Amino acid sequence: MTHAVPGRPRLGAVARKIGGHLGRGLAMIWVVATISFVIIREIPGDPVLGQYESLIQKGMSPEQAERATAVLYGFLPTGNLWQQYVGYMGSLLHLDLGRSLSTPGVEVTTLIGHAARWTVLPVLAGTLLSFLLGVTMGVYAAIKRSGKLGDVLALSGSLLHGVPVYVIGLLLTAIFATLWPIMPSGGPVDVEFVPGFNAGYIGSLVHHAVLPVVTYTLASYGGWILAMKSNVVAVLGDDFILAAELRGLRRGFVFRYLARNAILPLFTILALSIGMLFGGSIFIEEIFNYPGLGLLLVNSISSRDYALMGGTFLVITVGIVVANIAADLLYTAIDPRVRSGGAA
Amino acid sequence: MKRLAAIMAVASIVTVTACGTTGTTDTAQRGGGVYTTIDGSKQINASAPINPFNPVGSVFSGYNGMALAWPKNDPTDPNQFYPAIARSWSISPDRSEVVIRLQPNARWSDGVPVTSEDVRVSIGLAYTQGGTAYALDPKAAGAAADIQVVDPKTIRVTQGANRSSTFLANLLSTVVVPAHVFGKLLPANFWQTLKVAQHGQGAAAEKAKSQITGLAENVIAFDPGHDVSAGPFVLERVNPGAALLTRNPYFYARQNIVPDKVKLLNYTGNEQIWNYLIAGRLDNAPFTSVPTAVLDRIRDAKGSEVIKGYSPVAVSLAFNQSHKPYDNVHVRRAIAYLIDRAQVTKIASPEGGTPAVTTSGIHAKAARAWLGDAFDSLNQYRVSPAKADAELKAAGMTKRGGHWTLPDGSPWKVRIHVPASFSDWVAAAKSITSQLGDHGIDASVVTAADYTLYLGELADGKYDLGFWLIGLGPSPYNIFQRLYGQANGWQMFGGRLRHVAPGTEGNWMGGPEKADAGAAGTVDPGELTSKLNFASHDEQQRIVGVLAKVANEQLPVVQLWDYVNTQFVNTSRYTAFPPDDDESLRLSSGVWMQLGMIKKAEKGQA
Repeated sequence: MTHAVPGRPRLGAVARKIGGHLGRGLAMIWVVATISFVIIREIPGDPVLGQYESLIQKGMSPEQAERATAVLYGFLPTGNLWQQYVGYMGSLLHLDLGRSLSTPGVEVTTLIGHAARWTVLPVLAGTLLSFLLGVTMGVYAAIKRSGKLGDVLALSGSLLHGVPVYVIGLLLTAIFATLWPIMPSGGPVDVEFVPGFNAGYIGSLVHHAVLPVVTYTLASYGGWILAMKSNVVAVLGDDFILAAELRGLRRGFVFRYLARNAILPLFTILALSIGMLFGGSIFIEEIFNYPGLGLLLVNSISSRDYALMGGTFLVITVGIVVANIAADLLYTAIDPRVRSGGAA
Repeated sequence: MKRLAAIMAVASIVTVTACGTTGTTDTAQRGGGVYTTIDGSKQINASAPINPFNPVGSVFSGYNGMALAWPKNDPTDPNQFYPAIARSWSISPDRSEVVIRLQPNARWSDGVPVTSEDVRVSIGLAYTQGGTAYALDPKAAGAAADIQVVDPKTIRVTQGANRSSTFLANLLSTVVVPAHVFGKLLPANFWQTLKVAQHGQGAAAEKAKSQITGLAENVIAFDPGHDVSAGPFVLERVNPGAALLTRNPYFYARQNIVPDKVKLLNYTGNEQIWNYLIAGRLDNAPFTSVPTAVLDRIRDAKGSEVIKGYSPVAVSLAFNQSHKPYDNVHVRRAIAYLIDRAQVTKIASPEGGTPAVTTSGIHAKAARAWLGDAFDSLNQYRVSPAKADAELKAAGMTKRGGHWTLPDGSPWKVRIHVPASFSDWVAAAKSITSQLGDHGIDASVVTAADYTLYLGELADGKYDLGFWLIGLGPSPYNIFQRLYGQANGWQMFGGRLRHVAPGTEGNWMGGPEKADAGAAGTVDPGELTSKLNFASHDEQQRIVGVLAKVANEQLPVVQLWDYVNTQFVNTSRYTAFPPDDDESLRLSSGVWMQLGMIKKAEKGQA
């Protein structure tokens, strides 16, 4: 007779759990892909006419605009909605997202791949930075909640939480890219540097990422600090903290007990935020001309690029579904109460 | 902690390195500097191929993209061009034949000479894309019929039976690509297939046509991998933020080119261009809509100057005449009498527009050139509430409780539609509704989420009134196409003109097929417009006179303002930009350089 060690599930159970998650995830992806397929094709507007008139608007002659857009009709989906759907799903099974209309002839997967790398860097950095900063300051804000430091930290969180991200972005651009132009106002890297592992190129990458990352960090920081402060205050009243203090444990140990227990709910949000990063940050990318997935999605919608819209929605969906699964598994791993199915 | 400090130190050094200089590049410079600008015709797309047939390809007109010639900004003659790959050209009096002679010293950036074969291949590739001179339909106006290589530097192109007055212009606008790079996209039997498509009959001709148009997607998607340019610059690299081009040592007029490099910055909206200009980063920016407050800040930047010139575009408030009460000309005239165009322009486009003198369908500068004194005899629709009242009464409307009502007594609600992203149009629409409101007309602005949606709903006939670009010169055919073309029911089908019913096939303007043209009698405006394509200059002048009069009296639109090409330059680093009203003003800085403009600024200048 064997006993399962409490809190350490067997391999089979883990596999079953992961399998269940994957099955539900795939079903969710199929549902979202189907819904987005239908919605995308119901969006009104003729993409070719739109491009033609946009070129006219930019000063191109009608003949030039016609030359530039006539061929685009060949990139529009043909057949009835059902036929298009069957074709779309068939292609999807082969990981073929089709060819773009707004960047004619280029594979959607290529466009998404190019955009993803510019999204992951600033949004991931911004998410992690704001998380670390917000969580640390949140603990201090809770511990020092009766003092001035606690007030200042809580106020900073409330203020930044209430300011829309585009206001922060525009403000930083106005200050650091226009009034005192020490930062670039657009683009991900200076084109004059040869791409590669060299100081100039990497420095330029960092330089261009500073404002987007700082914007993202400031915009997200408020939420983390407020959530962490609230969690810590709740944990501070728990018996085990009182017991630790009565046992005379050093302040550092008590701090660790506090942080580890208070941070648990935030891990789920962090995992979901990382999943959401595949949606990019539309405002930040727009303001800083940072060519990530958010900007790609906006541009695909305005140009009615059906294949690109579908592909971008799909990537965002997959990102969120995977993050959900990861969060669930991570939570199981880090919180024994979840593993044992009840209170520890 | 020490590790963290070390990481921070390295990051700081790297950042400072990047901030401190842009000179750590891979190529030596000879002192011409880097010319920084914007490509106004498209946004940079680093994923797109280096291919001019791709609408977003990394080929930039005038820099690494070359046409046979560059169009001059002439108000009436679309056939005025500056030489480019074509050094000179001639057209036979009956427009049946054009002979083009190429630059004797033109070479591609890999050293290969530019020859007539390059032009021939470029024309062949243009056929796969369709449109204007390269239509496969032999009945299409202005379609090329035959292309002959006379010698390595001379090519002859003949026009089909329906000879268009803009054939030369369309031919000279042909983008030239290297045959040794792009030639493989045309199958060996291409020219034979083209002959069958153009001159064959029945199924064989249809099959040939589909074979040629079937090549389109491959042509548009082709990526040569690296740039081979006959222009003054070659694409060195492109990223989503900018494109970098370096001098082409083989360019035929390399002595005219001063900058070592050109950097084209990308943008996601006008705000970014404004920021670049305020920070003094751009040597030139093409026409950008700018509010007065921003313009003042741009002017404050060291070396900043504004150049203004003619832009053959006007903006109008268009009526859907299949919707009541806009089918009644008196209602349209009443609205025209109530709109203070000077006020609208001042609010919407103070720097980028001049109030329309009247509604003629043509930009005022071109209208004066076409119509002479007759332009002044058109009804100017100066603001006149009294005349507006008279027109509304003539339309059977009545004013009750200070508000105008429809003839059946129901309330009259004017809804003006504009795309939300066009701030100048939104401001103009708000100004108009305010002015109409002051006169007892219940008017409001409705915005569409984006331009594509706006155009789609406009074409579907969902709007009563909307904003519409008109006067797209210099070709008079293009000018009046905007009023009496597809949007108003006239379509070319199998080489024949037909008029479709309002509300169908994109006919959203819904105007009548015939119109009273005073002394000229009853005319078919669409038919007259179509004739502009083939007519002699004198005949064009007569037709333009009739159509301007019809537009002025029937008012399918109310012309609001004529655009002004407002460009920004910064003379801190470069000088010798084209002067105001120069014929090259609508062309890119790359073309200005080709023409011998753009010189390095002396130290301390500006």
